[in-house]
Amino acid sequence: MLSLFRHELLSRWGAILGWGTGLALMGVMYIGIYPQFKEQMGALADIPFYKAFGVDMGSFEGLIASGVLLNLPVILGIYIIVTSSDTLSGEEDRGTLELLVTMPLRRWQIVSMKASALLTATFLMLFIAAVCTTVALAWMNNTEPVSVSLGQMFGSVMSCWPIAVALLMIGLFFSAFCPNRLSASMATTVVLIVSYFLDTLANLVEAVEPIRPLSLFYYFDSSATAYTAGVRLSDVLALFGVAAVFFVFAIISFERRDLTVGRWPWQRARHRA
Amino acid sequence: MGDAVIHTSGLTVYYGAQRGIVDVDLQVRAGEVFGFLGPNGAGKTTLQRVLMDVLRPTRGSARVFGMDCRKQGVAIRKRAGYLPGELSLYPGIKAGAFLEMLGALHGGVVDETYRNQLCERLALDPARKMRTYSRGNKQKVGIVAAFMGRPDLLILDEPTSGLDPIMQQVLLDLVREAKDEGRTIFFSSHNLPEVQAVCDRVGIIREGRLIQTSEVDALTKQQFVRLRLRFRDTPPADAFSGNGVSETRRDGREVILEIAHGMDAVMTRAAALGIEEIETLPVTLEEIFLAFYDKPTKESLDA
Repeated sequence: MLSLFRHELLSRWGAILGWGTGLALMGVMYIGIYPQFKEQMGALADIPFYKAFGVDMGSFEGLIASGVLLNLPVILGIYIIVTSSDTLSGEEDRGTLELLVTMPLRRWQIVSMKASALLTATFLMLFIAAVCTTVALAWMNNTEPVSVSLGQMFGSVMSCWPIAVALLMIGLFFSAFCPNRLSASMATTVVLIVSYFLDTLANLVEAVEPIRPLSLFYYFDSSATAYTAGVRLSDVLALFGVAAVFFVFAIISFERRDLTVGRWPWQRARHRA
Repeated sequence: MGDAVIHTSGLTVYYGAQRGIVDVDLQVRAGEVFGFLGPNGAGKTTLQRVLMDVLRPTRGSARVFGMDCRKQGVAIRKRAGYLPGELSLYPGIKAGAFLEMLGALHGGVVDETYRNQLCERLALDPARKMRTYSRGNKQKVGIVAAFMGRPDLLILDEPTSGLDPIMQQVLLDLVREAKDEGRTIFFSSHNLPEVQAVCDRVGIIREGRLIQTSEVDALTKQQFVRLRLRFRDTPPADAFSGNGVSETRRDGREVILEIAHGMDAVMTRAAALGIEEIETLPVTLEEIFLAFYDKPTKESLDA
């Protein structure tokens, strides 16, 4: 079974390096522009638009949080949508899944190994981004000391992982449930967009506040306080809980699935022998 | 059930409203090469996918080695090698690494020497990435994957598809060797000469229904007998017209007849016309197969 995990992870090696580097560049860029922005940040903090969205642009933490923490899960979400929807239904579309399911493996083992590889891949991407932004901060500290410690910087980037895990498992579920990759990726995209805007809208419209907990982003602190207060354990547990539920749904859906090697019509096993 | 390796009973698969296979009762005995014949869309692949638990039956049962394909699928697949009809491979990895992974997923029971021998015999270079392979080479990867664990049961769906004639012969040799080692082979194809060359028994599937299972030899004998008759004088044009007999060729004093039944009447008439020479001509499986497909089905008659 580990050989499947190894294969899945190795097949994502290019994506890990590419996306990890891209995310790292984004973090490094925001850290890099801070010395130039420093003088104007007082004025930025008074802009009503930022205030309305609860973005603190008056500090280094606020700049990095709004530039990196707010965008990182969304940008990483694009990779997650593409890759998680491709994991089962995409492979079924291409026909590569048929040989795999005829190996002496249980279907939950296939889902588990693929899920583990996805989780590891996103962890490594964030790890690359976290290491690079931390190094950039250390370098900047030499000339422009800030109140954010290296550990806080590293931890803030890695704090994106729980929300990535939740979104991955939702995508994996749709990949096991939907008839093809396109519909799976569309469903996951809808979840990401609705979740993002629900949380953002709740900053502006009080009436939306009661349903805010339905958003994944409710459990992710993308504000400047993420650097001072750290990650809330309850948020992490909520996101991992969502991930666990959708992982189980993914297994159940895949167990019931008739593989038709990318062909319509497909069906679920409504009738049992 | 006896020593049946594959046993299906009333096996039916519907894709929504579309027919896959209907009420298939089939037994494949241990150690035999069973040819599964049918045109595209007849249901050959559907049956094999049920046996490998890729698809689940709508009703009926499918058992392999006496085990339920659904509930004991892992135990079955440990002892089975499968070559899908529409083989798709991961383009980005080398065939050698891919075969190693499949071997590991089979519990590492693959004999490396045998795997290398298979690659050599099939002229497959496993050091290349699979995206660089032609269709035939991809098929070879699938063949090696199916054979390399020396499984007790081989389920091969159109195994010679994409192979050149030399490699087709290598594949047929591998099937014969597997049979000699006592393994069971389920050989699905619509290439009749190769089925005739290696199979002990055949099953013919038409529009999802298994319409015939028989020994290959018996099948070629039972449908009709083809005779070449030579007379002293040219026989009349309608000399052999009648039920069960058709004249397929005429060349002066010579006629070729296909006789489904009524041999007595043909012999009596031939004697009366002055027969000089009689010869039985071979009937190929292909002709038998086509004869089956010329017959209307119950469904088409009902329609």
